[in-house]
Amino acid sequence: MSLLKEKGFSPLFFILILLLSCGAFITTELKIERISRKKIPGSSIIYIPSGKYLKYATFGYSSLLADLIYIWAIQYYSDTSIEERFKYLDHIFSIISELDPHYLDPYEVGAVIALYEAKNPDLSLQILDSGLAKNPQQWIFPFEAGHYAQLVIKDYKLAQHHYRRAMEIDGSPPIAKRLYANAAFKVMDFQTSWRTWLEILQTTKDERIKKIASNHLYQVKAAIDIDIITNAIQKFRERYQRNPIELSHLVRAGFLESLPKDLDGQEYLYDPSKGEAKPPTIPWKR
Amino acid sequence: MKIRAIASNTFKEAIRDRILYLLLFFAAVTIISSRILALLTVGDRVKIIKDVGLASLSLFGALMAIVMGTSLVHKEIDKKTIYTLLSKPIHRSQFILGKFFGLILTLFMMLLFMSLIFLALVFSYTFTIDWNLLLAIFLIFLELSLITSVAILFSCFSTPILSSIFSLSFYLIGHLSWGLETLIQKINPGPVKVLIQIIHLLLPDLENFNIKTEVVHNLPLPSHLFIFAPVYGFFFTLFCLTIASFIFRKRDFI
Repeated sequence: MSLLKEKGFSPLFFILILLLSCGAFITTELKIERISRKKIPGSSIIYIPSGKYLKYATFGYSSLLADLIYIWAIQYYSDTSIEERFKYLDHIFSIISELDPHYLDPYEVGAVIALYEAKNPDLSLQILDSGLAKNPQQWIFPFEAGHYAQLVIKDYKLAQHHYRRAMEIDGSPPIAKRLYANAAFKVMDFQTSWRTWLEILQTTKDERIKKIASNHLYQVKAAIDIDIITNAIQKFRERYQRNPIELSHLVRAGFLESLPKDLDGQEYLYDPSKGEAKPPTIPWKR
Repeated sequence: MKIRAIASNTFKEAIRDRILYLLLFFAAVTIISSRILALLTVGDRVKIIKDVGLASLSLFGALMAIVMGTSLVHKEIDKKTIYTLLSKPIHRSQFILGKFFGLILTLFMMLLFMSLIFLALVFSYTFTIDWNLLLAIFLIFLELSLITSVAILFSCFSTPILSSIFSLSFYLIGHLSWGLETLIQKINPGPVKVLIQIIHLLLPDLENFNIKTEVVHNLPLPSHLFIFAPVYGFFFTLFCLTIASFIFRKRDFI
């Protein structure tokens, strides 16, 4: 008993103090949680000059820091209450890419956020370009850039450029070449489109792809032929002040050497009232 | 009186520790180098100075608290001076409290010195005194007091190296536990959510003492925080010191 007194208070007293203090700090914590605090989300990261320099300060844990910043960025960009959250999008994703250049997800996710959330297609393509620059073997970046250019920006020339880059990378899916050929057709680069579709037809072993390529070749040839016929009709109209009654009149009048036929050997349809020619078959229903 | 005597001796002993001055030197260098860092930035240079300065006070203060807190009790045991001390009519909890207050006084002096350098640097740029910086420093001091109590707690049953690792972990957990709030928001209601809520409440939340963002960006300071943060700090410190006393009284030195 005397030893206990020398050592201090009784165990019961200690337990009482422990319970009281524990209860008190938990209650206080709950009170503090209710206090609304003004915050500047992302403020700590915005002021980091560049991931290039930050990398030296991570003591070899740059990949881990990239993970953490990426996870933080996902939460940050999901918070719709922050109106100006896209202001430093470029900076934040460039930090991640500098810290871990081979971490692929941030490029893809950053590009999606830039395109669909921030409505900044240029930044989206910039992020994907940066991904490709740091990972030249990753066809996914130019492939996605091509998609964005084609489907969202509606710039087929740009889409063609990106699809070409994608299809030139080893391991890229065959569809990249088909999308490239299609984009070339959309920008009326018929020669490139024809050449590419022909190559696809000759190299593929898949019957379904052969059929698709054949239909596209039909479409490309029809577009080239109808373009030639339309020019001839225009010249005919200028000379005779009327549309030709039949397409064969264009040959007789010397505007065409011979009447072009479609890929299946059929003649093109002609409407003399409008002076318009069109293919006899819809390419996809051949 | 006994606590005061132990605290006074602890202060005298701690103030002679060379590691303390080494840390103080690095803290001063970091604070002063914020001026160079500010030159590299584009925009608000004072912001960089304030950020680096407050971070240095907090980080080096925490290191001082951990280094001294984990070694002082162990030194007494190692040098066997504890036998002389405990043979006197003092309770072991008085010994723990004395050590704690001695360290708090030392930390206060160190923080005061670092703060003077920091405030002088800010003043040289702005020519005004930002009173909010003093509030931020006050909360840093409360945080350091809590860390000191944790360092003493670990030093009561462990070696200085292990105690330092545990205390550093406590510091890191304390500054990262807010992440659980995000997790709680994302989890569907159920037993896992309740469990995480309980863990979140029991884990230290050192962000309660962190108003650096508000101060640096001149945001309105939450007045209620200045009431509840000291209360939180007091009870958490009391909790740690009680456990420390309880463990220390169980140790057999005779």
